Amino acid sequence: MTAMTDVPAQARLTVGAKAALITAVVGALCLALEGIAPWLVKWPTAWELPATQWVGAFLDWFLNGIKPAMRLFSDLMTYPMDAANFVLGNTPWPILIGLVTALGWYLGGLPMAALGFFGLTFVLASGYWAESMNTLALVAVSVPVALVAGGGIGILANEIPRVKSFVQAVLDVMQTVPTFAYLTPLLLLFGFGPVVGLIASAIYAAPPMARNVMLGLERVEPEIKEAAIMSGGTRFQQLFQVEIPAAATQIMVGVNQCLMAALSMVIIAAVIGGFNDIGWEVLLTMRKAQFGESLMAGLVIVVFAVVIDRMSGTLATERKRYDQRVVWAVLGFTVLFTAAFWLWLPNPSELTLLDPMAEAIDSGLTAFTQANGPWLDALKNNSLFYVLLPLRIGLDQAVLPFTWGFQWTPGMSYGLFIVAAVIAALMAWRGHLTGGLVVLILIGMLETGIANLPWPFVLTGAAALSYVAGGWRLAVLSVGLLCTILVSGLWERALLSLYLSGAAVFSCAVVGGLIGLASAVWTPVWKVVRPVCDMLQTIPLFVFLIPVLMVFQIGEFSAFLAICAYAIVPMIRYTRHGLVNTPEEMMEAAISSGATEWQIMRDVRAPYAAPTILLGLNQTILYAFAMLVIAALIGTTGLGQSIYLALGQADVGLGISAGAAMAILALIADRMVQGFAEERRKALGL
Amino acid sequence: MTDAKTPAIACQNLWQVFGQGADKALTDALSRSGNDADKAASDLREQGFIPAVQDANFEVKEGELFVIMGLSGSGKSTLIRCISQLLPGTGGEIRVDGENVMGASKKVLTDLRRKKLGMVFQHFGLFPHMTVAENVAYPLRVQGVGKKERLARAQEVISLVGLEGREDSFPRQLSGGQRQRVGIARSLAVNPDIWFLDEPFSALDPLIRRQLQDEFLRIQATLKKSIVFITHDIQEALKLADRIAIMRDGKIVQIGTPTDIVLRPVDDYVREFSKDVAKGQHAKVASVMRDDSERGPDDPGLTTSMTLDAALAHCMELYEPVPVRDEAGNIVGTVHPSDLAAALQVDET
Repeated sequence: MTAMTDVPAQARLTVGAKAALITAVVGALCLALEGIAPWLVKWPTAWELPATQWVGAFLDWFLNGIKPAMRLFSDLMTYPMDAANFVLGNTPWPILIGLVTALGWYLGGLPMAALGFFGLTFVLASGYWAESMNTLALVAVSVPVALVAGGGIGILANEIPRVKSFVQAVLDVMQTVPTFAYLTPLLLLFGFGPVVGLIASAIYAAPPMARNVMLGLERVEPEIKEAAIMSGGTRFQQLFQVEIPAAATQIMVGVNQCLMAALSMVIIAAVIGGFNDIGWEVLLTMRKAQFGESLMAGLVIVVFAVVIDRMSGTLATERKRYDQRVVWAVLGFTVLFTAAFWLWLPNPSELTLLDPMAEAIDSGLTAFTQANGPWLDALKNNSLFYVLLPLRIGLDQAVLPFTWGFQWTPGMSYGLFIVAAVIAALMAWRGHLTGGLVVLILIGMLETGIANLPWPFVLTGAAALSYVAGGWRLAVLSVGLLCTILVSGLWERALLSLYLSGAAVFSCAVVGGLIGLASAVWTPVWKVVRPVCDMLQTIPLFVFLIPVLMVFQIGEFSAFLAICAYAIVPMIRYTRHGLVNTPEEMMEAAISSGATEWQIMRDVRAPYAAPTILLGLNQTILYAFAMLVIAALIGTTGLGQSIYLALGQADVGLGISAGAAMAILALIADRMVQGFAEERRKALGL
Repeated sequence: MTDAKTPAIACQNLWQVFGQGADKALTDALSRSGNDADKAASDLREQGFIPAVQDANFEVKEGELFVIMGLSGSGKSTLIRCISQLLPGTGGEIRVDGENVMGASKKVLTDLRRKKLGMVFQHFGLFPHMTVAENVAYPLRVQGVGKKERLARAQEVISLVGLEGREDSFPRQLSGGQRQRVGIARSLAVNPDIWFLDEPFSALDPLIRRQLQDEFLRIQATLKKSIVFITHDIQEALKLADRIAIMRDGKIVQIGTPTDIVLRPVDDYVREFSKDVAKGQHAKVASVMRDDSERGPDDPGLTTSMTLDAALAHCMELYEPVPVRDEAGNIVGTVHPSDLAAALQVDET
């Protein structure tokens, strides 16, 4: 935002201008001195500390210490798991379908009952019934654990203020630590097997519950709390009879998120603990390049996600419950049906109704890629060679005769820098000093490539941005955290991650912002975009990989697309939300001043929406980082790959360090954008 | 049950200061200023503390309707929360029926609230997940009163506030006026001696507000509670109060009967409040009555509790002093018609 502030060049330098100036100078110095002092650009390996090994050694020691207790816990958890597996595995399928249909009716009437019925029927027809039940059994055990743990933590934090800030901090960190990073230490503790998935998903699903319980309790109207006190309730009575029920809506949102998180994690955990569940099925078919089947299995996951999400969502949003007699009728019918046709019920595993569909998809896909091969390849290669690669390693290395038709020379670099300097000078002369400097810096970054940025420049840039966004404390925090990555030898990988997520976030910001704008201006667009967004947000991360893989094969471009598909949603939503929610009075004031539609958008709605849009950007960044690690499955470099590799080698040190580095990047980006959003909100007096 | 002379509530040098370490800061500030409240308060402000209630001193007699009035931010809501111990209070004493409740244990406070205190809130503070009847019965539920018994009692108070037939509704299904009736009913469920009302009618439409004020007076006429009533509306204060305390920036600037406030404001701040008030409608004949027995021949039938407006209407043609009677009809004093007119003019010069 500061970059856009209008400052006459003669006037005193603003904070933003100073920050940009220092960053530009440091960058220029590094480039100029590259020949004399190569250590300025690339952190020498000799200076790296074996931090990963230290972390590994410490964690090995620690994990071995708590191993007996944990093993006991996992042994205990096998009882409920076996029980859930037994119940779900042995319940005849008509009864389960009937149960879900009846539950759907009770919660949301006919549409929800239909969703439950057709959803489960699809699962049955797909032939993945047994695998699905295994997955469901995991969810069924992990969710109660997560609910109890999360709810307990939330309540505890609410009751003891000192615990609260601690819990909040831990939850913030947990939100940024990538999912795979959890898995490595768990693997060491619990060995391979379904229990790892269970515990990982419980750990992953507890925070949203805790967060929502805290939020809900916090948001109970003060007068309601006071009324409970004045009624003479003890603290226990106040909490359980008044505050928790009054916060029920928010807590139900927590239950919904908890369910979705557990499902998502159970599927991701299949990567390590594969044991004949639906996640494993997706992974297996994906590896065998059986995309049709992979997509079918992915759809089964999506069906579960949608059914669970919509049904638990109505718990939070709808108060109305439907007639119980219908519930009993449906259940009665299914029991009768099962009893009557007991001998003729097909074994769900042998159902292959959808196999032709999978084959059709496979052959259709082959036909499609063959027919559109040149076009698709062109899209992929052009994006790679002319956009992603220059961003990654810079114009100076990416421009080759083979792709661009000519060789980049140092002379061209100088020319580019001169052009950049001229643009910057012109802008400064017109009064946009900060803007000019930012342009200069960006062109410099493009020439160098994000992966080759000199480390002093990155540190200075991060410090400058943090300082502008959140003052000294944030600047110190950013630099300190980045330094830990620098000395631990993960720097290059971190820059690679930064490049890919940066490219994805940038694309999401532009495309998502435009879609959000279009949705805000034309309602019909939103009618189409909204269900798509709902869908994209319900689908577990893992499933995003299937379609991009089908069309673009393994590689960075596919990963990039998968990240974009997942991370674009918040940008669209928040942009639209911010633009649509401009107060009516403000719009009326602008209209009565004679502003045109465009002027209103530019001068009133966009500035008013800025803080909301920034929050959307923030979410997009976090989403991109989350997906980055999953995308490592289909070939990315950087930290995501390290985490994934560590998982394969059970290397806790590398896994946790790379996970922490990832979390650090996400955390810094998060704090910066939040800082800017906060500043905008303050400027608008919100 | 209490001695007639013991006030229902007595506040002595009550302070509520917000900020980290306010207790010590207050003690220090008071000892530095030699117990001068104003000096101590400005001292505290300079240190970054917020003295929301400064050195409040007043008593509420048994059965008295005591109104605390002030603009928003004047500390009136903080004061009532101090007295009800929703806020701990930083310094001074609060006596409820002669017993100091400042720093009392949780158990004592819970007990007190279960038996003696009731409170009504500006935004009603109804429990969204309970029906009207359950809301009203809640104070009994926490004491472990059986379901049948507490619902029976709830029914009584629900009838008292005129909400029969809405027992099974949820708060969200009620209008604002009805919600506040529930709030009132709930606060009366345990039949408390002391009744706190924190701007109970401020969130309501003017028409509904007047209707509820009248009903409130009707209920009070039968129940005779000791009441602390908060409002920012001078008309409401004058209409309801036995006595009014006016607050400004955390300080009580004047305590007096409605007539005192209207006719003898202590400073410009209070005068500003009463400026727009039609004085004749609030000041009573008693406020301009003299003791002398020199009267003219006419007796227009003035009584002490008659408003000045009404009295003036009776004396339009009279110039000689006239007698004033009390409710029983005994002559208790004299009024000069010119004083009546003068009293109404008092502020316009």
